[in-house]
Amino acid sequence: MVNWRQIARSRPTAANEEDHPMANVPSYPGTPRWVIAFAIIVAVPAVVFIVHNLAGWGLRGHMH
Amino acid sequence: MTMSPALRKLALTTHVIAAVGWLGAVAAFLPLAVAGMVSQDPENVRAVYLAMDLIGRVALVPLSLAATLTGAVSSLGTTWGLFKHYWVIAKIVLTVPATVLLLVNMQPVSQIAALAAKRTLSSADLGGLKTLLVTHSAGAVLVLLVVTAVSYYKPRGMTRSGWREQYEERTA
Repeated sequence: MVNWRQIARSRPTAANEEDHPMANVPSYPGTPRWVIAFAIIVAVPAVVFIVHNLAGWGLRGHMH
Repeated sequence: MTMSPALRKLALTTHVIAAVGWLGAVAAFLPLAVAGMVSQDPENVRAVYLAMDLIGRVALVPLSLAATLTGAVSSLGTTWGLFKHYWVIAKIVLTVPATVLLLVNMQPVSQIAALAAKRTLSSADLGGLKTLLVTHSAGAVLVLLVVTAVSYYKPRGMTRSGWREQYEERTA
């Protein structure tokens, strides 16, 4: 099994550049913009709303 | 484990049926919550909360659990995986907490329905609870619409672990 963390930490030198396991790995393209927009506009407010309600045990906290 | 095409289609069909049913049940729940909030007729209010409890127990809870479960099976049994693609994670982030909140909220709804079954319930009896039922139902409709859109558009983007896994599979 490849230890990706160890490989990611090590850097290819001029001597082993071609043999280095990460030499031919395409770089990770990063987080898409839609994910960031989705998190800010939808996911975070929704999860905060839900967690806030769960913390007060939902509607039960409003029962008299 | 990757499922066979026939099994994959069965799992996906089951997931779509459960998810569409969940959205439909919430869409039926919302107008009832609004009616419970605005109606001045105690008999109407009584009937509304009895119906909401019934829809909740018979449709909402089973369909939400079925949609979550079949969604997980479909993801794990296909190359999509659970944490490889951002769009799958987006669905999980929204639906799992929403399901938990639904399960927690069903008990007070059942208690209101039990109260409504015993005596006539006026809108004033429930205080701010009736407004909260409307906001929760409206929020659930919005969440499920977003989840449905994400499922059909499947916006691109792989997570770092999905990216590595795909590379390992290709080079294996």
